[in-house]
Amino acid sequence: MEEIDYKCMHCGNEYRGSFDKLIPIERTCPKCNSNSIRRAKKKPRKP
Amino acid sequence: MMDVGRHSKINLLTYSEIENIGGYIGNFQVTVRKKARYVDEKECNACAECEKVCPVVAADEFQEGFSLRKAIYMPFPQAVPSVYILDDKDCLGHNPIACGKCAEVCEKNCIDFDMKDEIITLNVGAIITATGMDVYDPTEMNEYGYTQYENVVTSMEFERLISAGGPTEGHFIRPTDRETPKRIAFIQCVGSRSNSPIGNPYCSNICCMNTIKDSLLLMDHYPGIEITVFYIDIRAFGKGFEDLYQRSKQAGVRYIRGLPGEIFENSKTKNLSMLVEDTVANTVTDFEFDMVVLSVGVIPRRDSDTIQRLLTLSTTTDGFFMESHPKLKPVDAPTGGVFLAGCAESPKDVKDSVTQASAAAARAQILLNAGKISVQAITSQVLTDLCTGCQVCVKVCPFHAITGGDAKLKIPVEIVEAACQGCGTCAAECNFDALLMRHFEDKQIISQIDAITSENPSEKVVVFACNWCSYGGADLAGLSRMQYPTSQRVIKTMCSGRVDSKFVLHAFEKGAPILLVSGCHYADCHYIDANRWTVKRVDKLWDKLERLGIRPERLQLEWISAAEGQKWANTMKDLEKMRAQVTQEEIEYTMKVLKEDREKSEARKKKKAEMKESVKEIPIDVIA
Amino acid sequence: MSNEKRIGVFVCECGSNIAGSLDCEAVREYAEGLPDVVCSVVNKYTCAEPGQQEIKKYIKEYNLNRVVVASCSPRMHEPTFRNCVAEAGLNPYLMDMANIREHCSWAHLNNWDGATEKAKDIVKVSVARTRYLRPQEETELSVIKEVLVVGGGVAGIQASLDLADAGYQVNLIEKEASIGGLMAALDKTYPTMDCSI
Repeated sequence: MEEIDYKCMHCGNEYRGSFDKLIPIERTCPKCNSNSIRRAKKKPRKP
Repeated sequence: MMDVGRHSKINLLTYSEIENIGGYIGNFQVTVRKKARYVDEKECNACAECEKVCPVVAADEFQEGFSLRKAIYMPFPQAVPSVYILDDKDCLGHNPIACGKCAEVCEKNCIDFDMKDEIITLNVGAIITATGMDVYDPTEMNEYGYTQYENVVTSMEFERLISAGGPTEGHFIRPTDRETPKRIAFIQCVGSRSNSPIGNPYCSNICCMNTIKDSLLLMDHYPGIEITVFYIDIRAFGKGFEDLYQRSKQAGVRYIRGLPGEIFENSKTKNLSMLVEDTVANTVTDFEFDMVVLSVGVIPRRDSDTIQRLLTLSTTTDGFFMESHPKLKPVDAPTGGVFLAGCAESPKDVKDSVTQASAAAARAQILLNAGKISVQAITSQVLTDLCTGCQVCVKVCPFHAITGGDAKLKIPVEIVEAACQGCGTCAAECNFDALLMRHFEDKQIISQIDAITSENPSEKVVVFACNWCSYGGADLAGLSRMQYPTSQRVIKTMCSGRVDSKFVLHAFEKGAPILLVSGCHYADCHYIDANRWTVKRVDKLWDKLERLGIRPERLQLEWISAAEGQKWANTMKDLEKMRAQVTQEEIEYTMKVLKEDREKSEARKKKKAEMKESVKEIPIDVIA
Repeated sequence: MSNEKRIGVFVCECGSNIAGSLDCEAVREYAEGLPDVVCSVVNKYTCAEPGQQEIKKYIKEYNLNRVVVASCSPRMHEPTFRNCVAEAGLNPYLMDMANIREHCSWAHLNNWDGATEKAKDIVKVSVARTRYLRPQEETELSVIKEVLVVGGGVAGIQASLDLADAGYQVNLIEKEASIGGLMAALDKTYPTMDCSI
């Protein structure tokens, strides 16, 4: 499972979270619990 | 069990696996692979002569590996069908002809080394999924030393050790010295009610009562034996359960609330010691036992994903199959014509499994008895003249209800109406407006948006809510008299998957300040995973809005279940705050930009269509 | 036959559940002015027998071909009102419910004006939608009178026996060489402490 950047469209919180194309997981903001979570547009950073 | 083998109406296919399931409620086609057992089921009379001469021994799975069996064997004495099976992996080989002793002694000549798998096709109207459960493997819990210490066994292994049909013929002994242990500990909640990554968070339902039963069995067989049960809570909630619990206590079984931190083995005596905090008495005691039984929990079947995929079922967060409605349709699967029975749905004991199985059988009979099924009129229809055969809808349909279509040959797709459940994801994803979602048509929903935005749109919040969860959450908020601002206007769709990008853009173009798309949580989607497409669509819309200079935050997404009235009310309060911050200039800018964008794309489409027309008009011989 | 839409709006007071928090008469009056609405009525309880009789009466009297019931949640009474309009000869899919109770009166108990305005809007949205509704026919399919039971544990065995005893052909599929499942491996089962097989 890879890690990508997310941004909460509700409170503006930006965080990194796991992402799996095959098993989509419900996105929830760790700060405000909103589900308005946007995938970062850019490709995930390579470590 | 015997009745099943004898029943004239039951076609029993053992050692068989489902390869494929097609069709829909009332008309399923099932392909079954009947694996070769190398013994003729009809002829074998279980005389056991073959077993006597077989030179190969293997661990007996039924006895949890405590004893051995031959390569040709009877799974267990009461097996149905009462027929031998030859395990081709254990048998002498890859070249069984090399031995063939069993075939020589078989009087009925029913051993056939060349037997092949058989493919059987069945046509059925209903399917009952009773795929059962697996048992938690506690090897990963290092602190209990399972597989490290021989005298630590699981509750399943215990069953074989105490059973008259078991490897010791019911003489209960501990593995290291084959003596009957005098001090036994049972540890509860092994792999259950865990809040760490090891084990599962849910209660496995049956382990408390199973341990109580085991303690009474031991007390009956070996009066004077010392039994200690370590637990978090004893859940004896069923009919007759509390009575059994009290009997166990009266028989002298000691119950201590608290779990051991770690188990240590005395390398000489092979006894097991542990430090346990008794959280009732507030004491810490060092215990020593001859044997420890881990009361292991229940997990979903490890291979259940195959049947899940074939029947388009969904699971709850714990991995068990999800029912259609937790209270009103507890044995119906969300897929029409499929019913759930036993531990496939959740951990349960024998009585509950039997009860649910009878319920599932009764539910299936309603369908079979009627002989016909009326399909709700909320299904998708193809407008064949608009369909380009691009197959996007085929890909997104959670029920595989759309078939065919070819973009090159311009063959439109087809909808299997009986399989369509009406989520509308196909219509939302279609780029050519070629799918008509009956009763939730584009123009019906657009007319609702227009009505909302026709007067003072800037004072309103447009909310899309799915029929099953979010709309229900709003109902619950009202029912519970939770108060929230009056700005929101709800448009109901069957699934959030129906919320077309054009609805969202249209609402913004008409002056909506804030818009919410709401649906079921991932695990609860009534259309398996249709709301995954909602997320993808909203992601794209956020990108588009940003590109056009519109604040993407004005589009919100929330999963609100029918039980989350409070979340609905809070969301409405939040949205009202957000609405108040949207300025008139912002709205006007949005309306202008979206109008221009729409007109541009319409012009592009028109041009494209004209070009196609002109290509058509050129006679073929000119191109040649 | 013309394409003329003739919509009837039925505003339910639901005792005081709706009428206690908003002005039902104002909603009725407002609905009367909406396009294609030919009659608009207030009922004390639309779902009760007299309320349903009134819907049927108005359908006949005003030759209605669309109905909007402004009352509770469709999750509550949609089947009731679909049956009601069907009994009056209207296709059940030509009825729409405007939820002014759960989504309005109950959620805005102390905001008489706000709730009334919102209820008007909810009715307007429903009327707009109703104008585009189309009659729908439910299709019927035949059912093969045979069942598949996947799994031969205690649940699969019980379901198979019940269905077979009821006279249906059952196909029971088991992955292992024998049926019985995990239950067969148990020595005794609670609460009766008897043999599992």
